[in-house]
Amino acid sequence: MIALVTGGAASGKSAYAEQLACDLSPVRTYLATMAPGGEEAQTRIDRHRAQRAGGHFATIERTGTLLGEAPTPQAASGVLLLDDVGNLVSNALFGADGSVADAGMVLDRLDAEFAQLAGAYAHVVVVGNEVGSDGVFFTDENGTWVRLVGSLCCRIAARSDMVVEVVAGVPYAAKGTLR
Amino acid sequence: MILIVGGIASGKRTYVEQLGFDGGSVDEGVLGTAPVLVGLEELLREGPLSDDRFELLCAKEVVACIEVGSGVVPLDKGEREWRELVGRTVNRLSDRADRVVRMVCGIPVTLKGVHD
Repeated sequence: MIALVTGGAASGKSAYAEQLACDLSPVRTYLATMAPGGEEAQTRIDRHRAQRAGGHFATIERTGTLLGEAPTPQAASGVLLLDDVGNLVSNALFGADGSVADAGMVLDRLDAEFAQLAGAYAHVVVVGNEVGSDGVFFTDENGTWVRLVGSLCCRIAARSDMVVEVVAGVPYAAKGTLR
Repeated sequence: MILIVGGIASGKRTYVEQLGFDGGSVDEGVLGTAPVLVGLEELLREGPLSDDRFELLCAKEVVACIEVGSGVVPLDKGEREWRELVGRTVNRLSDRADRVVRMVCGIPVTLKGVHD
């Protein structure tokens, strides 16, 4: 199955997504999207690592793309946890040299890459991000990022069997039924 | 305790009134003795709550908090820490709440517990 777990910052979405992945299969792969940079990013990475520590995840790192080496047959029979869409989009949209890629092309590319990735595993759990509701309308590249995160989450939701939003640590199903 | 979350102007206060609490029974952003606290997010401007103060919060009849995490990551470090603190505190509270309600366009959506 494909499941999208979305929510705001510090909503508990990652913890829920990890639990869901653990329930889906004992064979677990974690796809890390966050390029370490600075103390806060490291703190966040450390917290997520500690959360996953009991779950025995193999880790693969992809920055700005979802494509890479094909999974082993064993890994493919299990669950892939992708955390999260926001970081994936950041790394795909913004170059290290300060350049900004074409948002439409990035959307189509990541959507196609996701379809390919999702087809390679028995189960995929994706952590999305609710970023469009702070009432601030950015006209710069932040706005491009907000729209792209929202659009990619919509594309992934369309491919998902279950879409869950986590609010105040409580999950509810926006598509399908909670399992 | 009923925990109410929702965006700005989503109907939280109106819902508090519908639950039967008038203005006199509501503390605004401070941890007083009223049965209702509205504005948990403002209370948390002063930093994390001690265990004792957290228990006082759990003993309230209603706690309402603006959902602050569904936007762009703030540029300011203090704002980012505050946003993180509000989210984490609300998650801990929801664990203890009898009911968790999320306001959507004035509609109370029950995420946990049952509607009276």
